[in-house]
Amino acid sequence: MEENVITIWNLTKKFGNFTAVDNISFDVRKGEIFGFLGANGAGKTTAMRILCGLSRPTSGEGTVAGYDINTGQEKIKRHIGYMSQKFSLYPDLTVRENIRLFGGIYGLKDREIRVKTDAMLGMLGMQSEKDKFAGDLPLGWKQKLAFSIALIHGPEIIFLDEPTGGVDPETRRRFWEMIYDTAEKGVTVFVTTHYMDEAEYCDRVSVMVDGKIAAMDSPAGLKSGYHARNMDEVFRIIAGRAEREE
Amino acid sequence: MWKYLLEKEFKQFFRDPGLPRMALMFPVLMMLVFPFAVSMEIRNINLVVVDGSRSEESGRLIEKCTASGYFRLVSVCDSPDEAMRLMDDNKADAIITIDAGFSREVETGTGFPVGIKINTVNGTRGSIGSQYLSSCIRMYMQDRNPSPDAPASPAIDVADRYSFNANMDYKLFMIPALIVIGITMITAFLPALNIVSEKETGTIEQINVTPVSKSAFIICKMIPYWAIAFFVLTACLLIAWTVFGYVCRGRLLWLYLYTTLDIVVMAGLGLLISNYSSNAQQAMFVIWFFAVIFMLMSGIFTPIASMPEWAQTITYFNPMRYYADAMRSVYLKGSTPADIWYDAAGLLAIGAAMAGWAIASYRKSSD
Repeated sequence: MEENVITIWNLTKKFGNFTAVDNISFDVRKGEIFGFLGANGAGKTTAMRILCGLSRPTSGEGTVAGYDINTGQEKIKRHIGYMSQKFSLYPDLTVRENIRLFGGIYGLKDREIRVKTDAMLGMLGMQSEKDKFAGDLPLGWKQKLAFSIALIHGPEIIFLDEPTGGVDPETRRRFWEMIYDTAEKGVTVFVTTHYMDEAEYCDRVSVMVDGKIAAMDSPAGLKSGYHARNMDEVFRIIAGRAEREE
Repeated sequence: MWKYLLEKEFKQFFRDPGLPRMALMFPVLMMLVFPFAVSMEIRNINLVVVDGSRSEESGRLIEKCTASGYFRLVSVCDSPDEAMRLMDDNKADAIITIDAGFSREVETGTGFPVGIKINTVNGTRGSIGSQYLSSCIRMYMQDRNPSPDAPASPAIDVADRYSFNANMDYKLFMIPALIVIGITMITAFLPALNIVSEKETGTIEQINVTPVSKSAFIICKMIPYWAIAFFVLTACLLIAWTVFGYVCRGRLLWLYLYTTLDIVVMAGLGLLISNYSSNAQQAMFVIWFFAVIFMLMSGIFTPIASMPEWAQTITYFNPMRYYADAMRSVYLKGSTPADIWYDAAGLLAIGAAMAGWAIASYRKSSD
């Protein structure tokens, strides 16, 4: 029996006359890697911001981690992790201080933070970098650190907004290994991406076009459904129908 | 949670390349440099004398003027034309003309044939210069006629006596006002820039997805600046005391009380600026706009009473007006909140409006 951790019905978000997200509905199952695809301006960031409790929907219902997206935003925030496409740790704090800050924000005790810090630094192989400023790390390391910090409070779901923008293929591959490890521990991964090879790694993907979900299935299902050899072709076929300009 | 946020803000503050140094330099500059620079006292007025009398009496008058310390005797001419030429060349600010019959008329008491001409291209310099010059002449006349033996006219001694700032010391007058400017900069504008810079780097977004409430985040951001504001206030008072020997006439507690009120207003303003600015450039422009209006319409440099009616109306909306008035009243006169309750009322009213607006616009921006 599979359990849904995200359930969304008829979600709509309007900015003035512009409908950024147009009546979308979907479910995400516990422990799966859910890819959220779409061209720039298709509305995926807006949808994701609503799921994270950063923005209120114009209409529609839904639950994230068991809490209502309209009324339970603050409770949602306790049970999710978020990593944005921009590096958003504090560059003028050291690696250790960043870990301590976010641990503290999520209500961890000093002792728990110390234990977590050691475990995290060991896992990332960053023991010798612990007193370096986060801003001075190479981009690949920054992203790994940001990802680990987003998981510091043991969230049920982690939202990744284009997490691998601007890094080399090798670093991307290793980043995805971290994602797999995380999903294996039962954490649901909700990821937006531009890279179609990454879409192949997902358990299921949805493709947003003009604020609507145009297709949603496993990568294999999408490929056979659209008679395409890879996800890149699938995406071109679906997103090619877009009418909205960026 | 608060502990960790505060720890972050203080660490970031002390790691900033400029801020800690600025917090130290600010009171020093304000107290040791600005009181001299913003002084409205006029000294070194270039005086030219046209002495047609060339007598002992005229010599004494000239000496009276130069001894006052405000005038610098440029030249003693024989003809008014020559003196006028010096003024045209901008070498003379004031001309005092003494007629040939001066000595005799003064002796007999029939008249006082002395003329004054003032260069008023710089209005302040001109009007203050002429006041100084006439008071020098008055002093000369008093010296000449101590008149105990001349009861013909009832002796009414008209003497100015200045209350609270007996020597009309401009520095003493400016010190509380400079503190006002400093505190405003630190508590309104620096936190606004700080919040906007978190917007620019995107770190504020990362905080927004955590359970940290927005008000907790903002308050933690402002606390270091409040601490610095009180540090600067204390440092300024200490410097004024050790260097100039000025002490606050009123209770220090009231200075701190009014500073706290001002901080509330400025916190609202800072938050308001950061809500409406998405980058540092915008924020800087808004800050500059407010800083100029606050300072010029506050009565710090020019008295509010001499502004036109409509401009006086504007000053009622300026928190700096109330804060500056309160600081000067407490520092120079020893006022208590019972005397200057209206300053507290003004600050509270503006503070409530500002904070209400800031909180409303803050909620809206996060939708």
